[in-house]
Amino acid sequence: MSEFSNALDVSTSGLQAQSQRLRHLSENIANADTPGYRRKTIAFLTTMNGAETPGLVETGPVRTDQSDLARIYDPTHPMADESGNYEGSNVNLMIELADAREAQRSYEANLRMFEQSRQMGRSLFDLLRR
Amino acid sequence: MFDKIEIFQMAHAMARHAGSRHAVVAQNMANADTPGYKAQDISDFQTLMGRSAGDFQMRATRASHLNIMQNSGTPVVMDRPDAIADPNGNSVSLESEMMHGVSAKRQHDRALAIYRSSMTILRSSFSRR
Repeated sequence: MSEFSNALDVSTSGLQAQSQRLRHLSENIANADTPGYRRKTIAFLTTMNGAETPGLVETGPVRTDQSDLARIYDPTHPMADESGNYEGSNVNLMIELADAREAQRSYEANLRMFEQSRQMGRSLFDLLRR
Repeated sequence: MFDKIEIFQMAHAMARHAGSRHAVVAQNMANADTPGYKAQDISDFQTLMGRSAGDFQMRATRASHLNIMQNSGTPVVMDRPDAIADPNGNSVSLESEMMHGVSAKRQHDRALAIYRSSMTILRSSFSRR
């Protein structure tokens, strides 16, 4: 039975990690037009504490993307410099959306595994019922 | 009493193997986006059983004999050999993991069905009708 609870634990950690990733992605998308905003990225890590416990997923520290900010020409903008440009964000909506789709796919896969382990556990308990 | 009957033992081992395999698959699935993670697997139930059911194996005929075969029940976790890694070093394929998960679940269902039907046979031999 502990195998099933291990599987449930692992799936839960995967679900948490994916939903946190999705949260940062939506933060990036919402701030796509904020001047000076750098997109946030998180890395996934596997925690290995001993051979018995399974490798749970956890999210690493949030990092900001250090690539160049987009320079947008708009002399009427209050933050524009002498040449009439201001710094926008370095969020690329296409990348964020593709990443969000991938996160959703992984989330659903984890959910499916969770459901499967639960069904297996339940059919095991059904043996006792009769 | 029931654990002395071979078929119950076999069904028990099969269900336990399916459970551990499913846990490994769940771990792979959860780490599907972790950079550098290698997909893991445990050996088939057939190969685990085939190792201990051969004709030329050592047998423990007395209780004091060391029987290595009895200790080999826990499967070894290894990296999946046929996996191809992504550019970030991750070698989990969601599709194949899904397939392995379903096959583990089917193996578990099969083991429970065997257990249940043997239980029914046993029970009908007890009953008066």
